[in-house]
Amino acid sequence: MALCATCLVDQFFPEVGVATVTLLRRLNVDVTFPEEQTCCGQIAFNGGYRTEAADVARHFMDVFESERHVVLPSGSCAAMIKVYYQELFRDDPEDLERAQALGEKTRELTDFIVNVLEVTDVGSPARGLVTYHDACHLLRELGISAEPRKLIEGVPGVELQEMPNSEVCCGFGGLFAVKYPHISIAILDEKLEAIRASGADTVVANDCGCLMHMRGAIERRGLGVRAVHIAELLAGE
Amino acid sequence: MPVDEHPNKAAFLQRVREALGRSEPLLHMPDHPTLKSALPRQEEKVRTVRARVEVSRARNIKRLAETATEASWYVHGPVAAEDAADVVAEIATGLRAKRVVRSSEDVFRRVNVDGALRRSGISATVLASGRSRDRSTLKALAFEADLGITGVTYAIAETGTCVVTPRKGVARLTSLAPPAYIALVEADQVLGSMDDYFALTRLAHQKSRGRVPTYVNFISGPSRTADIEQTLTIGVHGPGVVHMVLIA
Amino acid sequence: MAKVKSAAFKKASARAVRDEGIQHALTHVMDHFTEARAEAIATDYSDESWEAMRTRAAAIKAHTIGNLDYYLDLADRSVRRNGGHVHFADDAAAATQIVIDIAKRHGVKRAIKSKSMVSEEMGLNDALERAGIEPVETDLGEYIIQLAGETPFHIIAPAMHKTRGEVSDLFHDWLKSAPTSDIARLCSIARDALRKHFETAEMGITGANFVIAETGTVVIVTNEGNGRMTTSTPRVHVAIAGMEKLLPAIEDLPLFLRLLPRSATGQRTTSYTSFISGPRAASDEDGPEEFHLIFVDNGRLNLLKDEVLREALSCIRCGACLNHCPVYRKVGGHAYGWVYSGPIGAVVTGPMTGMKQAADLPYASTLCGACRDVCPVKIDLPKLLLHLRHRHAEGSPRDERTGTWMERLYMRRWHDAVKTRGALERSTRLGRLLQKPLVRRGKLRSLPLPLVSGWTKDRDFPALAPKPFRQIWKEGLGGDSDAG
Ligand code: SF4
Repeated sequence: MALCATCLVDQFFPEVGVATVTLLRRLNVDVTFPEEQTCCGQIAFNGGYRTEAADVARHFMDVFESERHVVLPSGSCAAMIKVYYQELFRDDPEDLERAQALGEKTRELTDFIVNVLEVTDVGSPARGLVTYHDACHLLRELGISAEPRKLIEGVPGVELQEMPNSEVCCGFGGLFAVKYPHISIAILDEKLEAIRASGADTVVANDCGCLMHMRGAIERRGLGVRAVHIAELLAGE
Repeated sequence: MPVDEHPNKAAFLQRVREALGRSEPLLHMPDHPTLKSALPRQEEKVRTVRARVEVSRARNIKRLAETATEASWYVHGPVAAEDAADVVAEIATGLRAKRVVRSSEDVFRRVNVDGALRRSGISATVLASGRSRDRSTLKALAFEADLGITGVTYAIAETGTCVVTPRKGVARLTSLAPPAYIALVEADQVLGSMDDYFALTRLAHQKSRGRVPTYVNFISGPSRTADIEQTLTIGVHGPGVVHMVLIA
Repeated sequence: MAKVKSAAFKKASARAVRDEGIQHALTHVMDHFTEARAEAIATDYSDESWEAMRTRAAAIKAHTIGNLDYYLDLADRSVRRNGGHVHFADDAAAATQIVIDIAKRHGVKRAIKSKSMVSEEMGLNDALERAGIEPVETDLGEYIIQLAGETPFHIIAPAMHKTRGEVSDLFHDWLKSAPTSDIARLCSIARDALRKHFETAEMGITGANFVIAETGTVVIVTNEGNGRMTTSTPRVHVAIAGMEKLLPAIEDLPLFLRLLPRSATGQRTTSYTSFISGPRAASDEDGPEEFHLIFVDNGRLNLLKDEVLREALSCIRCGACLNHCPVYRKVGGHAYGWVYSGPIGAVVTGPMTGMKQAADLPYASTLCGACRDVCPVKIDLPKLLLHLRHRHAEGSPRDERTGTWMERLYMRRWHDAVKTRGALERSTRLGRLLQKPLVRRGKLRSLPLPLVSGWTKDRDFPALAPKPFRQIWKEGLGGDSDAG
């Protein structure tokens, strides 16, 4: 199985990549990391720069299309490959076909563990009261919401306490968070309030975009919650 | 008397066509099921609808009472035709109605509303311009009235709806202008769903070579608004109190 | 046409997120709408059947729009057969002129209006006033914003941002009514004020929720009864419809009558649905003697021309996408700067009114997808927004392009950096060097870079990790694995 670390994890949150590897190895998965990988191209695509996005996406396909399984610790990047590559290559039958083939064997981490490995108890030693935030692309583009919850609930030392409106966006939105920080923060305020209301000490999500956004404000304000990637929780490091 | 075509029509349509990537009008009717169903097919369909309505009448009436109540109708009955007029009079008395207007349609032959009202000391005016009344008098009468009564062409169990079709004898304002309204619904007028109603409508349209009633209203409860602070308020421009009398 | 102020989105949205009144209204009303919708759907349908209904509705609308010339022609012939007049207006000015001409011909002094978004597009009220005709909005919400001199805050709840106190003040100023905080009382003040107009107005102007091509029927869905009044008491009725409002035949309608009220207000059905097929018949007791239907383009052709954006013409204006949009829920309707707001407003404003001035709107979305999931006609709003961004970045004609040189520069640098592994490693190494003076405990408290510095106003930004994952992998995590 080939790991796509995603550019965010690779460059900013390597600990999430390490946790993903630890977790998968604990489940006896043979993890490889194709070192030519860079980025899926989502940022350019979302910005409207499809020429650049397509170029980077082709590189991505070159790197990964010979793999049997491609697993990413990110719903957003998985959605880019599984869903939005088809839009990106709408007018290019050859690349469209490649994109479809790659999309079929690409899985977000929790999807892979629950639906391919068919495991829900990953043997994590983690403890605590956690709440789960549904990252938008994971939930709505890929329809994954039960899988991460099953995995969290499968950790004996962890209790899952749902927050109100867990499926509402946290206000990240990539480019949006940079272009309209005032709206982005206003949306985030509600998410942070929901997290607080859950009473959990840790909020878990499957996407480093959301986490970087939430963490950024949590740390700036000195709020007493941790925002962690689900791989970290499940690896239990 | 055919109405003239608008001078901009041809050019307008041509631009639409070009935006769709065509330069010529379609030669055939596009393939769409509800448009294509020809008269025999539609007759067949309506036969099925009628049969279904027939066998599910009791259930539909029960469902209508539920949905109508949920839509804030006051539902009465089902009562026998000979008792219905008394129910109407009782409602009118309860509302302290003084000026009552009603339509002129068949149901009032079976239900002697005028008689029952008279016994309660209320006289009803038929809101129809037919004989001596001109339009502005009719309007004034409607706006001054405190209760309007009409029959219906159908009622729809799915939505708690009375289908009221203004026409000769049935002014638009009778069911609209007074602050209170009573609809008389006879058992054989009750349909199951909106689909039933529109299947019948389309057949009527086909059979009459394209004629349709000029005006139809679905009335599904009292007039309401939530435009101020999302607070539900009953009775804005239309009747705030609506009664449905089901006649067995 | 109504003024387009979308170029000021950034400023207006910043003002809105700080405006306590707006925030209060949004918090309350939005939850009310979303909860009512969810409950109304769950009461009558399973998830699967609701989904199937949306799919069918999307298909019917796509079919109708895809054959729009045919259906416009059919509707035109049907309405005229019913004795009504049909007009085709290319833009707001033409539509407005048609209304004014009809009014003048009948010596109309006052026109009552029920809710019509197209007339908002046209800025019809102002134009009528200039022509010496007094327009009176009769939908309570529209009436309130007409008195306040504002545009709708929400497609279906135009005055949702007004508190009862503000409404009371408006009524006091305009109607000389005694101040009150009783909402029922406020409604009855409006009722009394508008009754007079219902009795006397010579012309009624309405929108159209649907136009049935085969029967030439205009369908109007309302709750208050003003729509019925407007189509009953005046001598002339003018219905104004966007040219996309068509449905082929009457049996297509029930599906939409199920989808619309549940999506909009969370009702099983609205209080009234009115079907108008031409003027009154000679034998009818009352009703307008003349009926006009105006089909309006006003920029819709620009949506139709674009095969991706065409989908937006399926919109039935239910407002659900607004209610579920995290951005709308924070900035409200006025920030979008024109008539339509929220995700659908962000999609249609540019193509309908001019791409450049509305260029900020397609970016005013987190692309969370909530709108698409609730849209009763399944419009893929995120896809449409992405498509607009694409047009703004790379589209032709070039003058649609709004990306700044700075943005392009970033994009080029990013592209250079991620093109290959080597490039990535080189540029991130450089990044690690450059960020050094700014990093405190693995964080950047400010990003001194144009375009992106806004991030760190209220949030920290993570620094590039001392060692990227790929290096950790190579230095041992990868073990003997030679796949890399
Ligand atoms: S886009 Fe869809 S959800 Fe939004 S207003 Fe239109 S129909 Fe409703």
